[in-house]
Amino acid sequence: MYNIKRNILRITAVFLVLFALFLAYVIYLQLIQSDYHAHNPLNSRNSVLSDTIARGAIYDNRGRIIAKTDEDGLRYYPFGEAMAFVTGYADKKIGTGGAENYFNRELSGKTKDLTMMGPIGELLRGNQGNDLILTVDSDCQQAAFDALDGRRGAVVVLDATTGAILALVSSPAYNPNRIVEEWGALNEREDHPLLNRAVNGLYPPGSIIKPMIVDLALENAVTDEHELFTCGGSLDVGGGFSIKEAHDGVHGNLHLKDALVESCNVTFGALAIRLGADNLEKGFKRYGFYEPIRGEIFESASHIPEFKTLDRGDIAQIGIGQSMLLVTPVRMALISASIANDGVMTEPYLMEKTISPKGIILTEHKKKELSRVMTKERAGLLKDWMEEVVLSGTGKAAKVSGIRVAGKTGTAENNSDKEHSWFIGFAELEKRKIAFSILVENGGSGADTAAPIARKLILSFEK
Amino acid sequence: MLFCGFSLIFIHKNPTISNVSYADFKYLPWIASALIVAFIIEVVIVKTKSRRCAWMFSCACFLSCLGILAIARLDYALTIPQIRWFIVGMAAFIVVVRSEKFLRRLLNYEYVLGILCVVLLMLPLIFGVEIGGNKNWIVLGSFRIQPSEFAKILLVFFLAAYLSEHRKTLDLRKKRLLFFNLPPIRFLAPLIAIWGASLLMFVVAKDLGAALIFFAVAVVMTYAATGNKSYFIFALIFFVTSAIISYCAFNHVKIRFDIWLNPWSDPRGAAYQIIESLFAIENGNVWGAGFTKGYPTFIPEAHTDFIFSAIAEEFGLAGSVSLIVIYALLFYQCVLISLIAVKEEEMLLIFGAGIMFFLQTFIIMGGVTKFFPLTGVTLPFMSYGGSSMVSCFMLLGVIVAVSRKENVNV
Repeated sequence: MYNIKRNILRITAVFLVLFALFLAYVIYLQLIQSDYHAHNPLNSRNSVLSDTIARGAIYDNRGRIIAKTDEDGLRYYPFGEAMAFVTGYADKKIGTGGAENYFNRELSGKTKDLTMMGPIGELLRGNQGNDLILTVDSDCQQAAFDALDGRRGAVVVLDATTGAILALVSSPAYNPNRIVEEWGALNEREDHPLLNRAVNGLYPPGSIIKPMIVDLALENAVTDEHELFTCGGSLDVGGGFSIKEAHDGVHGNLHLKDALVESCNVTFGALAIRLGADNLEKGFKRYGFYEPIRGEIFESASHIPEFKTLDRGDIAQIGIGQSMLLVTPVRMALISASIANDGVMTEPYLMEKTISPKGIILTEHKKKELSRVMTKERAGLLKDWMEEVVLSGTGKAAKVSGIRVAGKTGTAENNSDKEHSWFIGFAELEKRKIAFSILVENGGSGADTAAPIARKLILSFEK
Repeated sequence: MLFCGFSLIFIHKNPTISNVSYADFKYLPWIASALIVAFIIEVVIVKTKSRRCAWMFSCACFLSCLGILAIARLDYALTIPQIRWFIVGMAAFIVVVRSEKFLRRLLNYEYVLGILCVVLLMLPLIFGVEIGGNKNWIVLGSFRIQPSEFAKILLVFFLAAYLSEHRKTLDLRKKRLLFFNLPPIRFLAPLIAIWGASLLMFVVAKDLGAALIFFAVAVVMTYAATGNKSYFIFALIFFVTSAIISYCAFNHVKIRFDIWLNPWSDPRGAAYQIIESLFAIENGNVWGAGFTKGYPTFIPEAHTDFIFSAIAEEFGLAGSVSLIVIYALLFYQCVLISLIAVKEEEMLLIFGAGIMFFLQTFIIMGGVTKFFPLTGVTLPFMSYGGSSMVSCFMLLGVIVAVSRKENVNV
């Protein structure tokens, strides 16, 4: 008898400990992990909320509607494909994407505070979702989409000071108004219209990396503004390989400024070799290449090679944005915004405000500075030099009279026949400083294809 | 008397919530009769049995009512059947409690019990119908019965009787097999038979959950009776090897295990249920989405195995923690009652019943929360289903019947 009692008590103790463990796990699930899957596109709680609640509208920064719910409960997107990767889509079957996904809770009338209150929050909530005011400028967005004209590519336009995303375009795009019917076909198309190239496309940057290399070279004092480089048209990097100029050009003797303006590969290859693996890695780290943007937009991680394992030739290739380097258009827009913003990188964002149906501002964006990537003086220097690119160099096509425009073209070699066409830069408008990054896949030279798009973007603000 | 009052508050409070949510009042007479039956039983228990028993019965009624509410909310058509099963369960409870002498006598016929138990398990294998991937049902007229639910009761009886009878022999260290102390094989045979039966059930009927319960109850009760850790180690080895073999040999076991490790590999296919369950539980947060305000209907089979997820979503952490605590207290009361039993076999019987409740609760709650791989068993008193409801009340009846009347006025 005594033995059985002892055994029973032992087993009971073990079982109660198991129960306690389980209790702790449930608390973890419901308390700490509670928010973890709330944004998961597979969670049909997201889209089904719209059954009982009229989903809120989405506005651009000029107060134009870019998404709303019709009387018959359907979601309507006036800008269609042009705004596809900003608005995203919301459907019970295929789920949600874009802002519709990320701000689903707000649009459905739920806020974190209400969720925490549980059933009481349910009582406080109306049957009308909250409205969203985004940072995008529908004129600029439309101009960018039209300028790409169906070609594969992406455009990102930022407010250089605040980080507000003024345009986020990827082409070809899906039409959110018809996405349910076309879902199957869209998934099969070879030009991937569901891929957001602006934040998830990875491309070799080519020469648009050069402003950053200028900063790294001056920062680490491997050269100065007065050193005279000699370009004989080709840089021998050992092992029988060499870096050549575009169109087999020869630049002769030139300073660093001219090397940037004329995009001299020989000079930048040499600078990268002088910098070496350690300084390059530190530099790419400082520019945030190892920390993709998360949150409102979900940037793909850039592909940065392990610098220490690269040979001399590959290091030289990094200096001209080739080798194994792959970056996203939004990352390059951030770099040009940092230059325009006197060297400070600001976090890009999409949501300006959420407003309750009664007009109360529920949440408002707070500007967040990510880091200082270069000194104010260096930024000033690069601004002047990049302006020279537009005034007299490869970026002439972006010139707009009366506005200070600066930029850098890129013509990135890739594993297809035709190069990717790049243009990054900024423009100082009357009201704000805008920074942009333009990519046209297999568009050829940056000067001919991407730079003219920048001009159209700038003009869209002047209307 | 205090507990009687509590149970009434519980029972009354809950149907009023369901009154608000559902316009159709057809179920009212059913609820009324259920309440009357519950009240009468409660009074009788309080007068004739110990306070603990009264308390346990209130708990069971509370859980059943909560289950009925959750089911009414999930699938309205199932409300009345479930209330009916609740009443039938309570009737079975009375019958079992009244046949106290018979139960005590039953404990002397361990082999009859064992054979009955195996026969009951074999029934569905011979006459069985496959429902929901498990071949563990038999159809009697318009009723479908899961004999394994009732076999659980017999199993506890058999083990209690057998183990108390042969406790001394089983504990004798006559033979050393490798480094285990094991008694002669003929004394072990019935135990091995039970393990074998559970394994067979699992292989043939694909009823993983019931097999696991049978096996675990047998192991734990054997340990309780003998205190010989060899059984435990032996069972563990047996369990691990059979788990590995079945992982390799049976596809459904492999899938169950794989989706537990990584549900995101196939979120819309094999892992659909568990992912929806996790979404639901996480949606619950602290205070829950509010009754009828969540979306537990997204989970397939929410009214049977996944009823815990449904409660966790709509009542939040508050609800799920209360449930866990209530089940833990139910188990704890069983243990306390068993400790004051006079005879060994009765002590084992009550404790075995407690283990049965505990393991079922733990296995299904842990399964739906991805605490460990999911195996389908019912949540005692709450899950939809007559066999489960009636057998749980019968098991509870056994505990109450065999328990000693004590501490009435304490």
